[in-house]
Amino acid sequence: MLKWTVYKTVEVLQAMQKIMIIEDDPTIRDELAMLLKNEGYHACTVTDFETIPLQAERARPDLTLLDLNLPGKDGLTLCAALRKIAPVIVVTSRNSTIDELLALHSGSDDYITKPYNIPVLLARIRAVLRRSENTAETENRTTDSLNVNGLSLSLTRGCASANGQTAELTRNELKILAHLMTHAGEIVSRTDLIETLWEQQIYIDDNTLSVNMTRLRSKLEGIGLPDLIKTRRGMGYQL
Amino acid sequence: MTISEFFSDRLSRIILQAACILATAALLLLTGTQSGIIALLLITWLFIFLILQIFDYYKTRTRLEALSSIMDGLDEKYLFFECIPRAENIYEQKLFDLLRISAKSMIGAVSDARAAGQEYREYVERWVHEIKTPITAAQLICRNAGAETGHPAAKGQNIPGEIRRKLSCELSQIDAHVERALFYARAESPEKDFLIRQANLAEIAAEAIRAHQALLIQSGVRIETTGLEKTVYTDSKWVVFMLGQLLQNAARYRSDTPLVTLSADYAEHALSGDGTARIRYVQLTVSDKGIGVPAHELPRVFDRGFTGSNGRRLGGSTGMGLYLCKKLADALEIGLTASSQEGKGFCITMTFPAKEKLTKM
Repeated sequence: MLKWTVYKTVEVLQAMQKIMIIEDDPTIRDELAMLLKNEGYHACTVTDFETIPLQAERARPDLTLLDLNLPGKDGLTLCAALRKIAPVIVVTSRNSTIDELLALHSGSDDYITKPYNIPVLLARIRAVLRRSENTAETENRTTDSLNVNGLSLSLTRGCASANGQTAELTRNELKILAHLMTHAGEIVSRTDLIETLWEQQIYIDDNTLSVNMTRLRSKLEGIGLPDLIKTRRGMGYQL
Repeated sequence: MTISEFFSDRLSRIILQAACILATAALLLLTGTQSGIIALLLITWLFIFLILQIFDYYKTRTRLEALSSIMDGLDEKYLFFECIPRAENIYEQKLFDLLRISAKSMIGAVSDARAAGQEYREYVERWVHEIKTPITAAQLICRNAGAETGHPAAKGQNIPGEIRRKLSCELSQIDAHVERALFYARAESPEKDFLIRQANLAEIAAEAIRAHQALLIQSGVRIETTGLEKTVYTDSKWVVFMLGQLLQNAARYRSDTPLVTLSADYAEHALSGDGTARIRYVQLTVSDKGIGVPAHELPRVFDRGFTGSNGRRLGGSTGMGLYLCKKLADALEIGLTASSQEGKGFCITMTFPAKEKLTKM
């Protein structure tokens, strides 16, 4: 019998990557599924551990998160079978050297020790997905340029254009604007922006953010879009 | 055993024998024996006595030297009694028997203590593993709760976001404390289980920063990295933990404008005297512009439980972070040096072992 929990999201399904979670702790499994859903992935969980390869065959995920220590299961054989379908990130329960060696020799694409640090886990997932070929196209297709309110941002060339004028942006300005544009209409707090940049290994502080924000605004003013980014007092920014 | 030790040991016996022979000589003299014969007798006796004493001295000395060379060759000194040769006389035999009984009970006590330590360490590791599952679950819940309030329907509700952030910061503090307990158990155990592999310093640094992101952002820390794209041969998990301790310290002992700089460089060291063969080390420097450590406290920063004047002033310091770093670094043969200028900042340099040196480990 197959039990499936599929989380539907408002975004276009075909652009989303599907991640299969094989995990025996129910709290972690459900919260992990919700986390991945919030991060823009399509998450599916497995609750029946008897027919895992068959379920993976049907679901055809882009990535599998596999707990090596499933009750009564040989994680290594399972990993080899799943690896044929999609890249696998192995989750080891105990972080001793033996478990680490086991994970290394499991043939998985990457491994992470449980309990995991959430930003680390997400970074690993992104890295593995980026490495597998078929995702390269989707990434190009979805993230080459963003368009909001007549402003168009090219991520590959790093410049913003509006009203026929173009402004070149620095790396930090580009990341800030991209985050605001993907959350257009929402209030984005300063801490949110800082966290987003930190996750992309740009470790700025509050003052640097203010400086970048001022420069970004004056550049946008230069291409005829003054006051595009509104300041919501005590809450953050809004595009 | 020196000659004086030998003679002082036998002084009473020698005096007794000399007294006896002198008494005999006096008796012989009184009973009318010629003094020349007595002199001859005394000289012969002295000669034999001396030869015997010298022979005895050398025999004892060789025996003691043989025993202490066995002791020197032993790593576990308490196993001495297992290696001693056969007793040469009854006195030695009795002594060795006593030694054997004492050593046996000692070995029993040592292995009991070791087993208890091992069991405790295993329990700590298991406990850390168990406690971390709910921590992870709580962190996931926190993260997801934040995402839910981000929906357009919940616009303007910034307070739950703040609470979530504070909670998640506290959770990662708990996580950091638990992690320290785990590495403490590991660092104190005689069989240190680490795995030396090729690792990228930039990835190690990124992982350490990510693990303490919440704390660092809340403390307003800015981080600059330079030249981290270098390969080192080490256990990356241990180094991530060590870097984490340094980052936490930087956040804790920060100044008004906290800045942490992570930079890596190559350092060269001549292998032979003529300087033709050189070994290249990777050196990672972690420096902050924090409150620094007073010069007289600097030599003690790696001591266990040492918190210093800063720790006392701020409160809540455990004095374990740098101690554990040093312990783990020693096991991995990473050189760890600290420097500081009070009021200007604190700096730790980690020198990773060169590839050529790894075979020794």
